Amino acid sequence: MTHDAWLERADVYALGALDGEERAWFEEHLSAGCSQCEERLAASREAAAWLARSLPTEVPSAEVKRRLFARIAREATPPIERRRSALSWSRVAGAVAAMAAVLVVGFLAWDAWTMRRLIGERDTEIRTLQEEKARRKEVYWLLENPQVLTIALAGQAPSPGAAGRFLWLPDERRGLLLTRGLPEAPAGKAYALWAIGSDGPVPAGLFSVDRMGRAQLAVSELAAPGSGRFRQFAVTLEPAAGGPLPTGPMHLAGFVDAKEPA
Amino acid sequence: MRTDVAEDSVQLIEASALGDRRAFERLYDRFAGLVFALALRMLGARTDAEDLVQEVFLQAWRRAESYQPARGTPEAWLLTIARSRAVDRLRSSRSTRDGLERLHARPAVPPAEPASHLISREEDGLAVRSALNHLSEEQRRVLELSYFDGLTQSEIAARLGEPLGTIKTRIRLSLERLRRLLGAAGIGKVAP
Repeated sequence: MTHDAWLERADVYALGALDGEERAWFEEHLSAGCSQCEERLAASREAAAWLARSLPTEVPSAEVKRRLFARIAREATPPIERRRSALSWSRVAGAVAAMAAVLVVGFLAWDAWTMRRLIGERDTEIRTLQEEKARRKEVYWLLENPQVLTIALAGQAPSPGAAGRFLWLPDERRGLLLTRGLPEAPAGKAYALWAIGSDGPVPAGLFSVDRMGRAQLAVSELAAPGSGRFRQFAVTLEPAAGGPLPTGPMHLAGFVDAKEPA
Repeated sequence: MRTDVAEDSVQLIEASALGDRRAFERLYDRFAGLVFALALRMLGARTDAEDLVQEVFLQAWRRAESYQPARGTPEAWLLTIARSRAVDRLRSSRSTRDGLERLHARPAVPPAEPASHLISREEDGLAVRSALNHLSEEQRRVLELSYFDGLTQSEIAARLGEPLGTIKTRIRLSLERLRRLLGAAGIGKVAP
């Protein structure tokens, strides 16, 4: 579209006759800063103003002016001057102001409390994210390590839908357990991870699951398997204090792949 | 002289924006008649026109700081406010057809020539009327239908049974002509 179309719209707009989408387009075009259209609009508005000037002179009644300026005077008068003539209103205004003050103080207190609460929530959130980040870093570190073994843990009789993975570095006796689908441990109980070698199970740590049934447990400096290597890992439900040997039902279990040099 | 008046009016609006009621009163005295004439032409009844004058000047007083000299003279600003408020009234109140017919029954350029205290208004009025006489009947008609009767381009096209493009072109040409005629008569140039 050539710019002439915009100038034509400026003319139609000056007469207040631009309508529909065109009106919105033109206003957008104008507010985008088209000085040519702005000039044209001003010139056409002036020309249109002459249409009004061509009308025979008429004078509104003096009453119009009186009413107008009485209203302007009312609007312009500061409240302090009005008090004398409107005592009851000033009392009402005072009560309203007092109420407003109470509301403002209340609001400020509520606002400060809300802010403190929000800051507390943010702090918790940041801590959670930092912990999460540390855990993820551990996962990446383990996954990048060519020595890492991945042991799939299958759900056992009490929770057949559960599953888990144990990322295990045998030489460093360090690993990370990831599970999902385990039911929340009942009060006073906790899940325990066991590393099982030829000399029997070694406790590898206690953990709980979140509401989504997920859990992570970092294992480090695990006791040596006695002789040979750990062949199996298992998760059981134990008293929250834990113990040297498993006593509760087994929820997850998996073998280290025989082909691996575990 | 007109330039001085226009500049003076800008100062009056600026003073009004700062709460100077005397300045605003001078502005009222200067332009109330013009606003009233337009309101009367558009609305028809004196009481409606007087109400409109009060509304227009009340809005001008409350929003004096929004006036931008680059967008036109104070006079054009007041007339724009008046037009848009009058159009609102026309649109909300007219049981469309009667209102329009009543408006169009009136002569386009009323012949009255009353005395005026407004600065050079009559002379200008005469010059403008003679300029308007140089427009074709069709050109005058689109200007009046839009400016005085508040019809939009589409409404005018529907009313006259002509294509929208024709109406737009006619509006452009008639304003172009009016600008040129007023310029030639030495009254088209108004200080910003």
